[in-house]
Amino acid sequence: MASLDINTPRPVTLRHYWPGLRKTIGLVLLAALAFGFIIPILWMSVMSFQTGEKMFQLRTEWIPTVWHFENYPNALSRAPFAQYFLNSGIVSLSVTVGNVVFCTLAGYGLAKFRFPGSGLVLLLILSTLMLPLEVTLVPTFLVIHKFDWMNTYQGIVSPLLIDAFGVFLMRQSMISIPKDYIEAARIDGAGELRILLQIIVPQCLPALSVLAIFSFRDSWDQYLWPLTVVSIDSLRTFPLGLVQFGEDYGNPPTEQMVIAVLATLPVFLLFAILQRSINRGFGLSGLK
Amino acid sequence: MVELTSTGSYETGKGTGAQPSARPFWRLGYHTRVSLWGFAFVLPTLIFFAVFKYGPMLWAIELSFNSYDMVSAPQFVGLDNYRTLLSDPIFRETLVNTLAYIAGSTFLVTVSGLGLALAINTGIPGARHCMTAMFLTNLMPIIAVCLVWRLLLHPYGVVNQILQPFGFGRIDWLTNYATAMPAIIMVTVWRFAPYFMVVFLAALLALPGDYYEAAELDGAGPIRRFFYITLPLLMPTIFFVVVVSALLCARIFLMPYLITGGGPGNATRVLSMLIYETGFSYLKMGQAAAISVVLFAIMLVFTTLQMRLFSRSERIYV
Repeated sequence: MASLDINTPRPVTLRHYWPGLRKTIGLVLLAALAFGFIIPILWMSVMSFQTGEKMFQLRTEWIPTVWHFENYPNALSRAPFAQYFLNSGIVSLSVTVGNVVFCTLAGYGLAKFRFPGSGLVLLLILSTLMLPLEVTLVPTFLVIHKFDWMNTYQGIVSPLLIDAFGVFLMRQSMISIPKDYIEAARIDGAGELRILLQIIVPQCLPALSVLAIFSFRDSWDQYLWPLTVVSIDSLRTFPLGLVQFGEDYGNPPTEQMVIAVLATLPVFLLFAILQRSINRGFGLSGLK
Repeated sequence: MVELTSTGSYETGKGTGAQPSARPFWRLGYHTRVSLWGFAFVLPTLIFFAVFKYGPMLWAIELSFNSYDMVSAPQFVGLDNYRTLLSDPIFRETLVNTLAYIAGSTFLVTVSGLGLALAINTGIPGARHCMTAMFLTNLMPIIAVCLVWRLLLHPYGVVNQILQPFGFGRIDWLTNYATAMPAIIMVTVWRFAPYFMVVFLAALLALPGDYYEAAELDGAGPIRRFFYITLPLLMPTIFFVVVVSALLCARIFLMPYLITGGGPGNATRVLSMLIYETGFSYLKMGQAAAISVVLFAIMLVFTTLQMRLFSRSERIYV
């Protein structure tokens, strides 16, 4: 410290290494934390390759001594899971498309237009956040019953088709788009729908990705509502089939994990595809 | 350019040549047309919500004054359903459970979400990937979450195996009256904390960096910087996360339904489960509607808070 001569080599001490060391320690701790979080996911994946008795051992066998790949075909053959997954796919794709389309429309209407009562409309839509299906379960069931939509796809899909969350997400992502773009397009003679599709939507793809992944996840694994409106086997979504599978006597719990793994894959896959966009949608593009 | 004159709202010619021609009354003005478009964009959503949200809720309120079993016609019973609820010990226990669950989960989810976000935001290389890994817990289908955690919380399960080196005995998480609800809350934190971590992280990244530079120059350490800069600036986000997570927790159904089935006894029974059971197992639709109204009232409190907040906040995540 006494000498300011830059030519004198400074003694190499712990302090010298400290910034790098700190980062390493931090990374190790953080990685351990992240690992802790994904233990259940790993456990699920490992158990899908194990035999049943390995599940309840005093020490979990994290690397199977014998890999039971046959669990996968076995599980799929024990119940019509292909049908269940197809049903879930139909439901979740419809719900995702519905949310993406209608939330974009409504979000645009609320973000970029002023009409008499637009404030009230915003309030009305926001207020549905306190009316989730869990609250309105009984009357929604009666509505579907009135429509005679019990045990139909439209019965499962329709109450999930638009979520206020999506409307807000889209509104918030559009609100900062300068109005000049829209005015300019109007002067050039573009129709309102064309303005939305060609000018607004390309600018809010990150928000759309966030909306897509969440509506897909929430409808893909929806349990309570199909449980309420579906009573025939051919329309069951996979969550219903999976729970039934666990309750039926003699089905190995490892094969339940197989179905759980297969059910998790599509959501992770969609996330992997949209990840960059989702990160931007969340406002994380600044993260190193 | 010329088209604009017919709108009547734009002065183009400044009186030289093109006078705005009087438009026939059925041709709408420019601004009216634009606002009609705006309304048209919102209309499908409004109709949808009228059929599937407001309508059912009004119906629920009406039903709650009736006795209805789907077989015979509804019968007006006045406040009987609510009276029955008040005197029903199971309902009271369920209400307390729900409130305890909301309070416990919301507190822990908020604190751990913020903690995780701060850990990710330290600039450690690779933190991003850790964040992605943690976020996967939020993407796993909830049904898989419940089935896996039910087994992890088994007396011989992984949770006990991990706790054993720290001197814990074998805990019967799910069959013990005292630990069942904490176990459900633990799963909730595992599920939702990474999500709110992302929300907090977005807020942290948006904080102005020069405050920190100034504070560092003035000699403020990391702890001081957190309490005097980060925390006050994050207050709106914290408030937001609390409200949103309370709303999420108020409607929880599947976790207690599948992990504990509401047991042991009624230790983990929550209002949404009671609605389902009363309505569809016992076919007491009126009674179930009355419970819905109670749950609605709880959510109304949080939503009112959220609306207050919404008028101020820039971004919204639900």
